[in-house]
Amino acid sequence: MRKKQNRTQQPEIDRRTFLTALGWSGVGLSGLIAALGNLLYLKPAVEYGPPTRIRGGKAKDYQEGIKEVLENERVIIVREKRGFAAISSTCTHLGCTVRASDAGFECPCHGSQFDNDGFVTGGPAPRPLDWYQVSLAPNGELEIDKSVKVPPETYFKV
Amino acid sequence: MREVNTKEVFPKNSNKTYGLMELVKGTKPTVGLQPDDMVFTWPHLLIRELVLFVVVAGLLLVAAFLFDAPLEEVANPNHPPNPAKAPWYFLGLQELVSYSAFAGGVLIPTLIVVALILIPFIDRKRIGVGVWFAKQRAFANGLFFTFLLVMLVLIIIGTFFRGPNWDFVVPWE
Amino acid sequence: MPITAEMRETARGKMHAESFSSRFKVFWKNVYRSLFRYGRMPRDAEGQSYAVFNNLFLHIHPVKVSKHSLKFTYTLGLGVIATILFLILTFTGIWLMFYYFPSATEAYNRMLDLRSSVDFGFVLRNVHKWAAEAMVAVVILHMARVFFTGAYKPPREFNWIVGVILLLLTLMLSFTGYLLPWDQLAFWAITVGTSIASYAPVLGEPLRKFLLGGDTVGQEALVRFYVLHVVILPGLMSIFIAIHFWRIRKDSGLSHPNENGSSARGGAT
Repeated sequence: MRKKQNRTQQPEIDRRTFLTALGWSGVGLSGLIAALGNLLYLKPAVEYGPPTRIRGGKAKDYQEGIKEVLENERVIIVREKRGFAAISSTCTHLGCTVRASDAGFECPCHGSQFDNDGFVTGGPAPRPLDWYQVSLAPNGELEIDKSVKVPPETYFKV
Repeated sequence: MREVNTKEVFPKNSNKTYGLMELVKGTKPTVGLQPDDMVFTWPHLLIRELVLFVVVAGLLLVAAFLFDAPLEEVANPNHPPNPAKAPWYFLGLQELVSYSAFAGGVLIPTLIVVALILIPFIDRKRIGVGVWFAKQRAFANGLFFTFLLVMLVLIIIGTFFRGPNWDFVVPWE
Repeated sequence: MPITAEMRETARGKMHAESFSSRFKVFWKNVYRSLFRYGRMPRDAEGQSYAVFNNLFLHIHPVKVSKHSLKFTYTLGLGVIATILFLILTFTGIWLMFYYFPSATEAYNRMLDLRSSVDFGFVLRNVHKWAAEAMVAVVILHMARVFFTGAYKPPREFNWIVGVILLLLTLMLSFTGYLLPWDQLAFWAITVGTSIASYAPVLGEPLRKFLLGGDTVGQEALVRFYVLHVVILPGLMSIFIAIHFWRIRKDSGLSHPNENGSSARGGAT
């Protein structure tokens, strides 16, 4: 009975409860924002590694069917009838470096195999090798941008 | 509240220096909880810790002089070793990863950690505490033992039985 | 016999010497007692109690422990051994920091220096390495011991969880330390290990980038692993070890076969 009476007289949340909740949400929110700021601070923003845009030599020097391995850049430049492709030599399984083989590419670490277009033909790799964007610089050199991935079989025609 | 019987059950004997003070009703004997069961940390526990420390430090020093920590050639991103292996305690997981990357690398480790955290909230019956391999706990112990054994076997396979291309090899050949 | 001046002189000298040595003894006793108030090897109950209770390093222990918890066949000493290994790793790790440099071009050279040039450098490196491998194994065995003796049951649920956190921290410490020598073993183990992490849905790839500070294992990854290995993870480890020990005492010491429902709640030992 008394409870019912109280309800009608008093608002459901009194001033003290409301202000306490407000205070705590303020503390919680600022804590959350601070934590988020710290996380963003740690997020790698600047690439300190080697440059992502690399030059691959004159386009006309490439013979058809050639697979040019740029070891340090971890990129393989492929020249096919359909055009140029820049395929990543980083295995999609666990990050080892693949090498060119007769059938395409193979990873020495855990035996993943890929065909010439980087599609998986065997082993534990879950997806095809990455393809990077290829373009032509004004001086006729190939330019590969490792920060831009393109779907497989996107050949660049000269 | 404990019910206390204040009536003198055993009359005082003047020849004894001790006497029965009171009787307490309870459901269990409290013998094991008497102060008799306790010994002083100094020196009983500390001397054991000191002995363990000396033994551990001694063994480590002997190992340090006998076996060098491995050091291979300087890191070279262009030449992966064949096979590339994770540290030994992750080789069980890497073995699973070679079957399915998601299951071995994410699903199973997550399940293991979640299961480990939930253990004390699932199995709360306070029986067989304080004894090795209590009979009442045979099922739980068997389950955990199987889990450890599977992990151990996977680690051994990953460490010794996996060669180039992660192919199965026999280490003594 | 008449007392000569010479005799008087020697007597005075002797007296002087005696009083100096006795004064020094008193001085030394005062110094010693200011450090240790209850004697060198206390034999009575009061002295033994205070020896533990009044010592900063020993007071993580209760004054008295149950005989059962001292049985080697019960605990196999695994928890204590893990702690000892952590202390040894902290000590050798700090010592190694004097020569180590988290640089992709310099780190490996420092390894070679430690092995050949620095006096006892190989001992510190080897002890650190073998203690680290042993710690992973001992912590896992400790967990097995606690399980097989049913020691995780109430009221010790929370301490089991702290133990799981300590196991994960141990693995992370070992894993981050693995990269620091910057040799082939380190580089590819971390490449493979972080690639496994990237298979986690949604969070996997960001987590990998977060850990490595980039797309591949390189200079950024080395610095990040170094900071984690020498500051953040050992700090967390120390905090959780403290909680672990504190909870042992709040949960009435180690698990015990004679425990019953009413006794093990919130013991104040």
